Amino acid sequence: MEGILFPRGVPEGLEGLDAYRARGGYQTVERLAEMSPEEVVAKVEASGLRGRGGAGFPTGRKLALTLECPETPHYVVMNGGEDEPGSKKDRVLMENVPHLILDGIILAAYAVQAEKAYLYINHGYEAATRAVETAVEEARQAGYCGADIAGSGFSLEIVMVAAPSNYVAGEDTAALEVIEGKDPLPRQKPPFPVTEGLFGKPSLVNNVETLANIAPIVNKGPESYRSFGTAESPGTMVFSLGDEMERPGVYELPLGTPLRHLVEECGGGLKSGKAIKAILPGGPSSGFLLPEGLDLPLDHDSLREAGSSIGCGVVKVLTEDDSVLDEVVRIADFFAQESCGQCPACRMETNMLAALLKKVQAGEGNDALVEQFGKLIAFNKGKGFCSLINMPGPPIESAVRLFPEEFRGA
Amino acid sequence: MNRFCLVCQNVDCKSRGSEEIMKDLQERVAAKGLTDVEVRSYMCFGACQEGPNMVLYPDRFWYAGVKSEDLDDIVEHMAGGPAVDRLDKIDPSLKELIYQLLDTGVF
Repeated sequence: MEGILFPRGVPEGLEGLDAYRARGGYQTVERLAEMSPEEVVAKVEASGLRGRGGAGFPTGRKLALTLECPETPHYVVMNGGEDEPGSKKDRVLMENVPHLILDGIILAAYAVQAEKAYLYINHGYEAATRAVETAVEEARQAGYCGADIAGSGFSLEIVMVAAPSNYVAGEDTAALEVIEGKDPLPRQKPPFPVTEGLFGKPSLVNNVETLANIAPIVNKGPESYRSFGTAESPGTMVFSLGDEMERPGVYELPLGTPLRHLVEECGGGLKSGKAIKAILPGGPSSGFLLPEGLDLPLDHDSLREAGSSIGCGVVKVLTEDDSVLDEVVRIADFFAQESCGQCPACRMETNMLAALLKKVQAGEGNDALVEQFGKLIAFNKGKGFCSLINMPGPPIESAVRLFPEEFRGA
Repeated sequence: MNRFCLVCQNVDCKSRGSEEIMKDLQERVAAKGLTDVEVRSYMCFGACQEGPNMVLYPDRFWYAGVKSEDLDDIVEHMAGGPAVDRLDKIDPSLKELIYQLLDTGVF
């Protein structure tokens, strides 16, 4: 299937500068003076691109908000922390199409008039870091970044920063803290980074995949971009499939493609050949779907209506032999462990949920205990600096709703 | 033994001295001969900024911001004396949430 990021929808190895230029790459950057920053913003707004890091915020809106901040300087941050369990799309994008990402970063920086772009990459991603470093050097030699890009008068310095590999380090404001030389702790929002971000200045913080979409939108136009995906969720998305599938890996598909296509055609179904019991379509913070959810279109709104979310496209499939309860215990443990601990409500909630679930797992479940999940989740909703506090809710509550028999006492 | 005094031992309460307070309280409870109260650690009550926190259960009394000079009054309360109202300063909805969790047996 044709893709926007990967020409054939699947990674085919490192795409060098010449190959990327041959498919139209850097064409706007080469004539940067011919397009105003406002025009770049307008194209991204018209494309309808939504952030691919999990929240799905309109990217064009973010660009516009950053550009219109009078305070200077402005900054761009590429968030390549990628700590979501099972997610490998950002690593694969950086390893395979670093110039596509860089083209997008340069255009985004021009759009918000940033003088510096920080590339924040998970420190465990050695090959990805090398690929991006090489691409930056090649782009610099070609005059695509550095001083006075293509005679436009616009200059951009690019700085690489290693990201710690704990979960909250991938949260956008925690990334800003790390770049400032501090511990990876999320900040209270508002203010949002678009007005007060890196070093207190207006900053555009975007996920790797989001930035990878900018160049195709600007170079080929928003109409061409919108020929992929749905009206509300235009474009494609890169989905990650795990080792339970016959063909694990990453697949770029137009948004709105049925989940069944991803699981059966791309992934080749379950390796074990067993029947599907449940699907977690958007990573550990999404709600479970029953097998009939395979016919849902993969887009933000359809999955939300089905009580789940698309997250950053990590799809996990559970077989008839798997215990949903065990999976939920793993998820609760993960969030308890990864909670940075600076917000009391999050610390209490994530620890309590894990403890309650372990009681159920030990065969001590009862209706009164199961009722506490919803109460705890509702009580703590939104009471943290970042959204981690809201993350255990959807998988736990959907599991209790869809598989009540697993939560009864022994 | 059927009553518990649960003392939070999470990072924040610990940094406010909850380890020493728990040890101190255990000694005072033993010295007073209160054999029906077990003083033990708890993972978190979600009121870190008010710590160190302890909850007497099933009595449902929450002592917040406990200092060693409060311990005599707390032991008296456990032994049937007056409630230590000056330490009862936690939001009622949080108290109710935690008491209900304790009712389900999460220790």
